Amino acid sequence: MDPGADLIRRMAAGDRQAFAPFYDRFAPLVYPLVLRIVRDRQDAADVLQDVFWEVWQGAHTYDPARGSPEAWIVMRARSRAIDRVRAVRRRSETFVAPLDDSVAQAPAGGGADAASLAADRETALARLPEPQREVIELAYAAGLTQTEIAERLKQPLGTVKSRIRLGLERLREAFGGAP
Amino acid sequence: MNRDHDAYETLASVYALGALDGDDLAEFEAHLARGCERCAATLSASEETIARLAAEGPRRTPPPEVRRALLQRLEATAPRRERAAGRSLWLPWMLGMAAAVIAAIWVTGGFIAARYEARLDRMTREAAEARERLRQEQDGLRAELQRYAGVIELLRDPATRVVTLRGAGAAPEAGARLVWNETRGGQLFVTNLPPAPEGKAYELWTITGGRPRAAGVFQTDASGKGTHAVEAAPGGKPVEVFAVTVEPAAGASSPTGPIVLASAK
Repeated sequence: MDPGADLIRRMAAGDRQAFAPFYDRFAPLVYPLVLRIVRDRQDAADVLQDVFWEVWQGAHTYDPARGSPEAWIVMRARSRAIDRVRAVRRRSETFVAPLDDSVAQAPAGGGADAASLAADRETALARLPEPQREVIELAYAAGLTQTEIAERLKQPLGTVKSRIRLGLERLREAFGGAP
Repeated sequence: MNRDHDAYETLASVYALGALDGDDLAEFEAHLARGCERCAATLSASEETIARLAAEGPRRTPPPEVRRALLQRLEATAPRRERAAGRSLWLPWMLGMAAAVIAAIWVTGGFIAARYEARLDRMTREAAEARERLRQEQDGLRAELQRYAGVIELLRDPATRVVTLRGAGAAPEAGARLVWNETRGGQLFVTNLPPAPEGKAYELWTITGGRPRAAGVFQTDASGKGTHAVEAAPGGKPVEVFAVTVEPAAGASSPTGPIVLASAK
């Protein structure tokens, strides 16, 4: 059995000993995603704590047939981070969406991320055609909605949606289909 | 239909990235809720792709406070018996509590003892007083009972008569009955005779052949009642008149004060 899935199964059974290994395994994967979306260390720490607490309490909802543990935790973390950043945006109403370049050049956390983002350029995402990379990065890394992306790129909404779908399909192929 | 569904699969991709909004979001969620397996599969594939995207990104250890906070939260919700690590804290805590309780009992005990010893002293004293009072009452009742028994005994004797004394002089309201037996003596019951003045007492006289003879002194209570046991007159001569006078408290050998009660001849 997948080690992550086994830890989730143990947590679902109420095994507290499974929580720390699960956290240690997945928190370093999830934290950069959250940090990039919320762009504030304290917010990211809060979101991370919420996400892992929800995972402990909702471990029984994980269905191995529906997806990998990685997808399960990543989707939860992204969802929480996006909720957080959108709530902040609604409150301030002074949100200036970062352009893809600004995300790359001025990531939250400063210098520590610079090298990793440079590494990003050799990833499947970096190898996508520019129009697809652009929309996916704005959605994935900055947490913008399709409408916000359309406004920012001054593209029709339908175009943005199509590019996202196409980009994800290309990435899927790049990763070799199955995860 | 196919084209419509193709649109939904586009929405599934955008939804997986969390970028769907407005009417599209509501529409897709409704569609998904109706149990579209194709869209569920597309969503699932998109989610796996995003997870792979994350996996090829940087790893970064979160601030240690997050881990610490989560583990504390987990510990706080653990059932008590599972807190093996916490048990070491329980013992000193319980010992501390036990010591505090013992100290409190000791101090309180001393306080209560001091307080109750004084009370017990007082209660013992009060109990002794009550016992003495009861003893006196009992003695009084016993004497009274003997007196009544004696009166009843006297009344069984055909020779016994009941003499009525009436108030006179300063005590017109007073009255008395004397159960009298010439050879055995008798018992005087007085009513409505006010207590004698300070230093004075009432004295009963038996008068035979015009000669009064002292037959004892008595007092009456606040209600004007009094009883007095009377000895038989020596010589056995029948008493002709009974009279009560006010005399010095120690009594007199011959009447000196005014008559307050007297029997009719």
